[in-house]
Amino acid sequence: MAKSDDGIHILQGLLVFGNVVIGMCSIALIAECIFFVSDPHGLYPLLEATENDDIYAAAWIGIFVGFALFALSILGIIGVIKSNRTLLLVYIILMLITYAFEMASCITAATHRDYLTPNVFLKQMLERYQKSETDNNNDKWMTDGVTKTWDKLMLQDHCCGVWGPSDWQEYTSAFRHTHSDADYPWPRNCCVMDAQGSPVNLDGCKLGVPGYYNSNGCYDAISGPMNTHAWGVAWFGFAILCWTFCVLLGTMFYWSRIEY
Amino acid sequence: RPHSRPRHPHARTMVPLLLLLLATAAHGLVQLNYKPTLASPDLGGLTTTSTFVLEQPRCQFEGQPNADIWLVVAVPEAVRDFNNSAVPGAFQDFPDKAGAYVTLNTTLLSYPCPKAPGEITVLRVGSETSCVDDKSRPTCNGPLPGPGPYRVKFLALEGSEPVAETMWSDPIQLKTARQPSSNPVTGSRHSAGMIALTSILTILFAILLAGLAAMLVFWRSDACGGGSSTFSKPEVVSVRRYNTHHVYDQPAARL
Repeated sequence: MAKSDDGIHILQGLLVFGNVVIGMCSIALIAECIFFVSDPHGLYPLLEATENDDIYAAAWIGIFVGFALFALSILGIIGVIKSNRTLLLVYIILMLITYAFEMASCITAATHRDYLTPNVFLKQMLERYQKSETDNNNDKWMTDGVTKTWDKLMLQDHCCGVWGPSDWQEYTSAFRHTHSDADYPWPRNCCVMDAQGSPVNLDGCKLGVPGYYNSNGCYDAISGPMNTHAWGVAWFGFAILCWTFCVLLGTMFYWSRIEY
Repeated sequence: RPHSRPRHPHARTMVPLLLLLLATAAHGLVQLNYKPTLASPDLGGLTTTSTFVLEQPRCQFEGQPNADIWLVVAVPEAVRDFNNSAVPGAFQDFPDKAGAYVTLNTTLLSYPCPKAPGEITVLRVGSETSCVDDKSRPTCNGPLPGPGPYRVKFLALEGSEPVAETMWSDPIQLKTARQPSSNPVTGSRHSAGMIALTSILTILFAILLAGLAAMLVFWRSDACGGGSSTFSKPEVVSVRRYNTHHVYDQPAARL
């Protein structure tokens, strides 16, 4: 009798510990998802224009799941200590619902990250950057977002195009309709700029002299933060769910052992 | 005796040849052994869709210090019939009405010899966009109207008299832009990570749901049928509780 008594105590202790870890991880999840939603790299307009910004939806779900997990972990600790069957049943059912939402968030983040290939961004850049005739307000909003983001990206990260300045030569683009090839073989922001924001040597930039224009592509600067975002949400969520799985199984077993 | 002196077998052809050479020398058109080439491939903008970049003809026109050096741009079909002395066509009529035009005229001062090492000495053909439609500027260095190919040569003129020319270059092909929609945008394979993540999470969730179902079945049977469970030990738990109560009650009872 003493042995199973100890066994129950140990299980109780483990469950309380498990819920404490869930509580701490949920706070970390909230912080991580708020960080991603705040878009520190300013790449959200590019995603918005692809009309597939589900990795942001996944981060938003992560924030609410984090709050729910935190509240439920406290409920779980109280339920385990009091050995209250009702409380624990409520805890288990609510946890399963939260589990389902977090699962959705992880799978969404992972799936939609796979969708964001270089060609998606290339096509979007060529079709929207500096597009002059926009169809409606929504089109104008997305075009402005893409143009501003690319301008900022090319200045900050010293890059040009998705694969390189040759993107502007190899493909037709909305930019090419309003800017002649002789004056603008590539956008001005591909030129190396001085402190005042004008090209150091405009002729050198137009000729493509190494050192006066940015010859590398911006894809790394885009995909790096997006990969971190998507995999951060997906894999951290996965880790939390694996731990929660163990805690829930233990809780179910504990629940079945309580005298009603 | 007839034909006493042996004659040179090609004497007949040599005299006209001599006359031709004299005539050429009198005109003074020097044929330079130089072929214009594109500049270094390090340049990102070596050829674009409407411009290209040539090496400057340094140290080629030293024998004509007073001439204006022009660049002749022509379509390959107009190369054979090109006449150095004729008035060239205007850029604005190129290539439909005029097979060639001249542009980028300069004096020898712009091409000092020898070339300073490390200097980038290039000519950008097609850089002037302001005079594209200006008929009063037939020597406009405007953007080329199509992807080509084009052939170029340098021509030195004193006044309107051609005094030296280089060879014609190899055909220069410009870039052609294609539509971005020809690229496949979708067709991205699902990564292995995503498949693993989805399948593992689904399995775990299914196990949890099964556990919940087992719990509810157990609860139902427990509530209806009484203690038929094999893995619950109610007496153990009850004893624990009674023990707890007794521990607290006993001191009260003693008091």
